[in-house]
Amino acid sequence: MVLAQQIVLGLLLGGLYGLAAAGLSLVFGVLKVLNVAHGELIMLGGYGAYWLFALAGFDPFVSLLLVIPGSLLLGAALYLILFGFVVRAHEETRIKNSLLVGFGLALALHALAVRLWTADDRSISTGYGGAVLTVGPISIPVIRLASLLVAFALIGGLHLLLARWRWGKAIRATAEDWQAALLTGIDIRRAYLLAFALGTALAGAAGTLVSVGYSISPSIGLEWTLKALIVVVLAGLGSMLGTFVAGLFVGVAEALSAAAFGGPYREVVGLVIFLVVLVIRPQGLFGRTR
Amino acid sequence: MRSPGGSTENAWTVAILAALALLALLPLLAPRDDVLNFVFLVLLSITLAQSWNIIAGYAGQVNLGHAAFFGLGALTARTLWIAGTPVVAAMAAGALVAPAFALLIGAAAFRLRGAYFAIGTLALGEILRTAVGNVLPEISTLPAASIGAYRLAPRYYLALALAALSVLAVAALGRSRLGLGMVAVREDEDAAGATGVSALGLKLRALVLSTALAGAAGGVFAYYHISYYPSHPFGPGWTFDALLMTFIGGVGTLHGPVLGAVLYVFLKEYLTVRWVDFHLLIFGVLFIAIVLLFPGGLVQALIQVGNGARRRITRRP
Amino acid sequence: MLEIRGLEAAYGDVPALSGVTLRVGAGEIVALLGPNGAGKSTLLGCVAGLVRPRAGAITWDGGENLLTVAPHLIVERGLAVVPEGRRLFGSMTVADNLDLGAFSPRARAARRESLERVFTLFPDLRARRRQTVRALSGGQQQMVAVGRALMASPRLLMLDEPSLGIAPLLVRAILDALVEINRAGVAIFLVEQNVRAALTLAHRAYILEGGRVVGEGAGAALLRDPHVRRAYLGPLAAGA
Repeated sequence: MVLAQQIVLGLLLGGLYGLAAAGLSLVFGVLKVLNVAHGELIMLGGYGAYWLFALAGFDPFVSLLLVIPGSLLLGAALYLILFGFVVRAHEETRIKNSLLVGFGLALALHALAVRLWTADDRSISTGYGGAVLTVGPISIPVIRLASLLVAFALIGGLHLLLARWRWGKAIRATAEDWQAALLTGIDIRRAYLLAFALGTALAGAAGTLVSVGYSISPSIGLEWTLKALIVVVLAGLGSMLGTFVAGLFVGVAEALSAAAFGGPYREVVGLVIFLVVLVIRPQGLFGRTR
Repeated sequence: MRSPGGSTENAWTVAILAALALLALLPLLAPRDDVLNFVFLVLLSITLAQSWNIIAGYAGQVNLGHAAFFGLGALTARTLWIAGTPVVAAMAAGALVAPAFALLIGAAAFRLRGAYFAIGTLALGEILRTAVGNVLPEISTLPAASIGAYRLAPRYYLALALAALSVLAVAALGRSRLGLGMVAVREDEDAAGATGVSALGLKLRALVLSTALAGAAGGVFAYYHISYYPSHPFGPGWTFDALLMTFIGGVGTLHGPVLGAVLYVFLKEYLTVRWVDFHLLIFGVLFIAIVLLFPGGLVQALIQVGNGARRRITRRP
Repeated sequence: MLEIRGLEAAYGDVPALSGVTLRVGAGEIVALLGPNGAGKSTLLGCVAGLVRPRAGAITWDGGENLLTVAPHLIVERGLAVVPEGRRLFGSMTVADNLDLGAFSPRARAARRESLERVFTLFPDLRARRRQTVRALSGGQQQMVAVGRALMASPRLLMLDEPSLGIAPLLVRAILDALVEINRAGVAIFLVEQNVRAALTLAHRAYILEGGRVVGEGAGAALLRDPHVRRAYLGPLAAGA
């Protein structure tokens, strides 16, 4: 395959990495909680879109209108039932507990998905699924291009939400200094709830886009959690747009390494980059040193 | 978390070793394969859980990639053994490769605190699992001659010995300066550093002990199974099992992983028989409940409930 | 307005406050003085709901027990805090920081007037309102911090060491602003290490040492008190 083609495909996938990471980054930045079940939330979003398609014929891009609010509610529920308790501890214990709770949640959701929907791969094939945009020697699958645009729009939307909306600013304030936030009258638990719900909504959207452009199965959870983690660590916290760019970067890096070393090692390269960045510069490329 | 050492811990050590000694007689008294297989699993689980406990409970670091060391031990042992090395030597090699690898990444890994260490190890586990899965995608089966000569007893005794070793290691750790140092680091790393305790040195030593035991357990695993996929022991399920067992019994205690392993394996058997598909789901939920509600472990919670009940009963007017 | 009675607080085994009793009346400027580690910040923390005291009572407006009020609702009651070190949201603009100051419903309603008042008090901020707070100088940041607290339309403004690390000229400006604010009817509770400046401003003052109130009096009187002069104003002042 032409190298340029590989890179374009990597870019398209990278947009979804960015979207997946944005949700995780928001939750980690605000609640200081690392939800390692984030990938499972993406998986659930994917299945939501899949079943809306299979059972009710909803076009996946349309079903975003249902999956996103649904994921918002799911996120709110998960916060109230689980993570709301985790945030009561101090930061060190909080992170440790969130990892453990997330780990348990991930396994529980994975098992549930296998139980409900079997371990088979699933993908949404719409009528226009095969459409391709040809630019010179490069073929761009329309669905994946549309997904990239949707991902960008969602992240842009989140950025605006955080910048202009009163509670968006409250969320950012809470992320930066929760005690000062309390002093200015912000109910930080409400900020946590909103952040977690928004993070889950983004995950659900990402899942929907994955189910139509690629494929889903109960096992994609861990894979996507790690992808999101890689991007978050690479980008650092605090910038949604930075996270998106980092996602694109990871997508392209993977594509290049697959071209250089062959397919099976694309996963490994991403993870290796991750570890290197983690050790050398934990605050990421775009993040601020704490 | 309780401080290690002390009379309760001694009592537990003695009790556990006595129980293990009794189990040594099992193959002679009740040579039923299904019973021995079951106890084997318990013994292997004890080692795996204790090994995770060392890093988590004593050094305070959550290692989400523990399966990597289990897998490395299994891979090394299996490869050497099938190639002709005597099994004990092969297993010993596995128990050395795992910590060697750990040391390689350990110094870098421990620059990461808390969350970063956890996700770093998670990623590491995945890297190894994927890499091994790519390089060795085919199932590893013992040659026919070995299958014919397969005896459960030696595997059983190896697992038993290893379990006893892991318990002794943790007991010795609790008593040693190394153990106390670890607790200091766990409680407050910066303060410990200020008093001259080398946090990194202690963590590395804990890592070596932890991964050596995990690697040895992997070796036993490799010796035990007739055929399995080489990437299987690298799967996150093994890490989760170790976590769950340790948490059920109580992190940072000597008896925690032992009781947790026993409870877990029994519970899993029971659930698998009755509710085949749900056992992972139930364990996931159980785990979350324990982390949030019973940080001292289920065993601790039961003891508290028992004490509470006893107090209520004896409080008569 | 604010009545603190017998407040006891500790960090683990280390006592921070022992039986502290003081009050701030409507329209007053009350200063809290004392050496480092005396417990001044802890006291403010208790009032703001960030620190849980072991014993004692904090009464607001004659009746309400502030200890039962959630921290984020303290502002709604009419108390605003300018914390030590300012604790601004550095990554956000001056305008955003001020806007967040008016987060509570009561303050929100008066948002526009409050903003005007802040810009009148600190004209420098009007010009800088789109700048990121992190890029401002210490003195300018302090103005933003005071402004943010003012945006909450408080009846009692509490400040923790506002002059710390600020150039003297800007300290003057901030203290003058405090006088203005007080003239508009806002009571002020000022924790300060700059004893001279605080005492020239304050109607009354308390002295906190080792977690206990060891002195109380009118601002001017304390300024002349020999113990105060010796302890806080330096050896030269004691003789004068």
